[in-house]
Amino acid sequence: MHRTGIRRFHLARDVEEALSLLSAYGGGGALLAGGVDLLRGPPGQVEGMIDITGIGLSQVGEARGGLAVGATTTLTEILKNPAASAYVGGILCEVLRQVAVPPLRNMATLGGALVSAHPWGDIPTSLVALGAEVRWRGEREGKAPAEELYRGEFRGLFRSAVATEILFPPWNGAFAYEKIGRARYDIALLNSCCGVGIRDGVVAWARVAVGARPDRGERLPWAEQALVGQKPRESLWGEIQDLVQGQVEVGDDRRAGAVWRRHTAGVLVRRALIRAAEKAGR
Amino acid sequence: MKVTFNLNGGPQYLDVEPGEPLLWLLRQLGMKSVKEGCATGDCGACTVLVDGRAVRSCLMLAPQIQGKKVLTLEGLGTVDDPHPLQKAFLDSGAVQCGFCTPGMVLVAYELLLGNDNPTRDEVAEAISGNLCRCTGYVKIVDAVLLAAQWKREGRWR
Ligand SMILES: Cc1cc2nc3c(=O)[nH]c(=O)nc-3n(C[C@H](O)[C@H](O)[C@H](O)COP(=O)(O)OP(=O)(O)OC[C@H]3O[C@@H](n4cnc5c(N)ncnc54)[C@H](O)[C@@H]3O)c2cc1C
Ligand code: FES
Ligand code: FES
Repeated sequence: MHRTGIRRFHLARDVEEALSLLSAYGGGGALLAGGVDLLRGPPGQVEGMIDITGIGLSQVGEARGGLAVGATTTLTEILKNPAASAYVGGILCEVLRQVAVPPLRNMATLGGALVSAHPWGDIPTSLVALGAEVRWRGEREGKAPAEELYRGEFRGLFRSAVATEILFPPWNGAFAYEKIGRARYDIALLNSCCGVGIRDGVVAWARVAVGARPDRGERLPWAEQALVGQKPRESLWGEIQDLVQGQVEVGDDRRAGAVWRRHTAGVLVRRALIRAAEKAGR
Repeated sequence: MKVTFNLNGGPQYLDVEPGEPLLWLLRQLGMKSVKEGCATGDCGACTVLVDGRAVRSCLMLAPQIQGKKVLTLEGLGTVDDPHPLQKAFLDSGAVQCGFCTPGMVLVAYELLLGNDNPTRDEVAEAISGNLCRCTGYVKIVDAVLLAAQWKREGRWR
């Protein structure tokens, strides 16, 4: 046995084999995708590693007018994919380019980021804003919006299920992503993903999500409602900034204080909305 | 467990432990260019190329390279016969203590494989995950741009 505490390594051939290995280990097995989080963890947590990168879940394609991404697709593979680059004006790639650094993006997978669900993560905030739906296989097949999963006991679910696919719906409008970290390489101190659709000169729909508050990214439905039916204009973005600064739930952690987060959340939402509206109006 | 892979152009057939980090395996095989800086994916000192892509060998297990091609700095050039990219680092003064250099060279190599005319920003992005505590980054970026120029001029291998 090595310092990592891992006693066995399996290269699963398909989803069924991954699931049966997972169940054979009880709590001692773990699905290994990019390993960026799993192999960083404290040693001795995992007895049997089940590599799922060869089970046929690495692909990207258009689906139902939107985008379907296999769970073990790496962030680099997504960034290089033409369908992903074209999805809603390139929003997914705009986000992924801000995740970690190129060698880590060569390893990290979308499914791994979904399941790790770091509260400061760029990907969870975007999945929620974009209305992504997650598909999985466990005892049964299942699907649910990422937003709903994050409200429930998703960690328990993925101890005995494999996330297989993430589906991004089509949007008639545009999104933008804003992230603030201490440096280009750093994780977010705060992030925001916002989208708008403009019809007949007014906002027809809006999505506003803020993450790293320090809690995981969530939508702000009251901010979305305040946008719908309004004419996109400079003063509207200012009003939404004030609204977010008045109502967003934020907290302190060792990386940033609640006062700064409250103020900056409003600023990030305004910046993201301005860029999204500009793109949507083109 | 048995693992078969290609290391710097030569076949390897080895018995490895299931939980052995790739970084440790490579160092045991004499690839001392592969450094352990942080062991948490943050510094880039352990960078190697697997099937042409730069990865962190501290965050990979040895069995994950079954059937793959691994390139370390030892496979790129030697002291007597450095690769043009290594020579560009020397000519540009992009090396001080040298601890970060293998990782820097390999991420630059990955970039130049697909793009022989990168902008300064593209080079900065490519090396953004590799920390250097002594040279600073300006000369490293200069070195990669010089190597790119040599590549365009056909002085490459
Ligand atoms: C130095 C560093 C910097 C980082 N910077 C950022 C950043 O700027 N922004 C950001 O958002 N993230 C960042 N991250 C986090 C990282 O990008 C993600 O968490 C990563 O994408 C995880 O993916 P993975 O494939 O490596 O997951 P793994 O480590 O393989 O797995 C993570 C967890 O998910 C489970 N799992 C994996 N795939 C599946 C599946 N298909 N079904 C069920 N369970 C599964 C595993 O069992 C494990 O519990 C950083 C990480 C590091 C180490
Ligand atoms: S030792 Fe691997 S990134 Fe630092
Ligand atoms: S040359 Fe010393 S760390 Fe970069």
